Amino acid sequence: MSHFLAPVFEVGFFESDAVRTAVIVGAAVAVVAGALGVFTVMRGQSFAAEAFGDIGTSGGSGAFLIGAAPLVGFLVFGVLAAGAMELVGIQRARGRDLATGIALGAALGLAALFMYLDSTIHNTTGVVVTILFGSIFEIAGSTIPLVAALAAAVVAVLLVIHRPLLLSTVSPEIAGARGVPVRIVGATYLLALAAAVALCALTIGSILSTALLIGPAAAALRATRRPGRAVLLAAALGVAAMWLGIVLAYDSYYWPPRGNGWPVSFFVVTIVFVVYLLSGVPAWRERRRAHAATARRAFADDRGTPHRATAG
Amino acid sequence: MPVDNPRDNPRDNPRDNPRAARGAGRVPRGLLAVLLAPLAVGVLAGCGVSSSGDPAAPGQIAAVGAENEYANVIEQIGGRYVKVSAIESNPNTDPHTYEASPSVAQTVSQAALIVQNGVGYDTYMEKIESASPSAGRRVIDVQKLLDLPESTPNPHLWYKPSTMPAVAAALARELSELQPAHAAYFAANARAFDASLQPWLKALRRFGEHHPNTPVATTEPVADYMLEAAGVDNLTPFSIQADIMNGTDPAPQDASLEQSLFAAHRVKAFVHNQQVTSSLTESFVNDAKHSGIPVVGVYETMPTPGYDYQSWMMAELRAIEEAVTQGVSTEKL
Repeated sequence: MSHFLAPVFEVGFFESDAVRTAVIVGAAVAVVAGALGVFTVMRGQSFAAEAFGDIGTSGGSGAFLIGAAPLVGFLVFGVLAAGAMELVGIQRARGRDLATGIALGAALGLAALFMYLDSTIHNTTGVVVTILFGSIFEIAGSTIPLVAALAAAVVAVLLVIHRPLLLSTVSPEIAGARGVPVRIVGATYLLALAAAVALCALTIGSILSTALLIGPAAAALRATRRPGRAVLLAAALGVAAMWLGIVLAYDSYYWPPRGNGWPVSFFVVTIVFVVYLLSGVPAWRERRRAHAATARRAFADDRGTPHRATAG
Repeated sequence: MPVDNPRDNPRDNPRDNPRAARGAGRVPRGLLAVLLAPLAVGVLAGCGVSSSGDPAAPGQIAAVGAENEYANVIEQIGGRYVKVSAIESNPNTDPHTYEASPSVAQTVSQAALIVQNGVGYDTYMEKIESASPSAGRRVIDVQKLLDLPESTPNPHLWYKPSTMPAVAAALARELSELQPAHAAYFAANARAFDASLQPWLKALRRFGEHHPNTPVATTEPVADYMLEAAGVDNLTPFSIQADIMNGTDPAPQDASLEQSLFAAHRVKAFVHNQQVTSSLTESFVNDAKHSGIPVVGVYETMPTPGYDYQSWMMAELRAIEEAVTQGVSTEKL
């Protein structure tokens, strides 16, 4: 295998502990993000995901101060934010956008303070990069069980609530009439979303976390309207983007400036972006074909009745 | 030594304060601000100017050392005729990310004599100096004093054995011009300083003779000049040292190489910057311990109280020597 794949996988790729941890954690996170992302896009709640990312920034940077893992900080602050959003009822951007914007700004301001304290009183370095843009190659192997458990819990919750969640997503009124506890289902989903964003933040950073959550899901929902298939497709696209990003970041060690790899998050987010653009191609071509057909018809009509204009 | 030992006030130790931050996740937002305000004040005090008490008395020269090791040498040369302030003295702060506060700016702008490192290590000093020009102010920029280019990759010049004797000589010169009446006193202090450095310089030479090309691993180039002077072979590539120093993520290739140094027992000691850590450097420390390789913690700024420049340098060399000869770890001085 190493022979014909040598141009793709640079020396030491399969032996590196950092790469192995990144591949495992990245896959688990991408699967969760894809699954949750489909519902997030369908429910129009990407704003909530973005909010969890912003608030998670303060959680992650605060975790360093007490010597906890950043994932714990992302998670605790995300769950608290989910509770607050549920109480206040601002899971979507519409309305109250001013108050929400200011609250999110305050959360990022708190992150600025925590990051300052991290490097001044807690002799930590590289916190800003790790929290904002992720350090997937720096994740300790001992984190894998926690990540796996969290990912499994989120997927399990989703399996349990997916039917009522889908129904209340498509039509809250019908769901309510059929006895679905719409609010509880919504709140459970919000908690799962907070956990998914925390996982994304661990891999590609808190401010990029939404890209992994929304991008593959949006692309998948363009390819298929069936939620089950969309979840599988989004998870597959997410894993592909993550793994390809890891390979490219590893290989970039040999690109200029030599001896310094490019960030994994750059590759992952860029791949997600390209996948999203490509997913729009079929619909675009469809539109063009329809447009061309209309134009042809109009042209043909025009030719077919050459004297109409003058006659009119 | 001809001068009083400088005593930094270990005031407002910010290590006591993270407890305030610990509760931050659980308290309402209003309370948070109340809790954080004293924390921020405590931190500013901890990272700010630390000096030996009262303002400069009449006849005393107000002097500033950007890093406390330079402040210590100013104190040793200037003795009773200087009033020295150190800007960076907190052993829990990464000096590379230090930002000056307004009170620091005031102290610097009022100083008659300044010693700063240069090489981009303390650029805030130049900013403050150019923001408050003063004709009478004398600035010893160690990089310029040693005639080093701006592109010098390793800024930790005070670990170079030739640095402080040059700084001491320059200090004696500048101080004598500021107070010509005490020129003999300053010159005598500079001679005494050079003499007191001899044990360290001899120990460095002896180490090189007894343990030539001892292989070690590092996290940052902090003590690299001293390691070089001791004839040590630093097997960690400079790219990983620079990445950790600059707060970016080292490539997995570099991390694997570092881990292999421990796993294959290719190094006799792991010299790491205990002042600036990350999850990666902590994992290296664990790897080293796991493979039975002794760990030596080195400092960017002089640990206080209890050390002067000479005894600090000696203590770090001793720690490395004990690691290499007896396999003993010294994680903190």
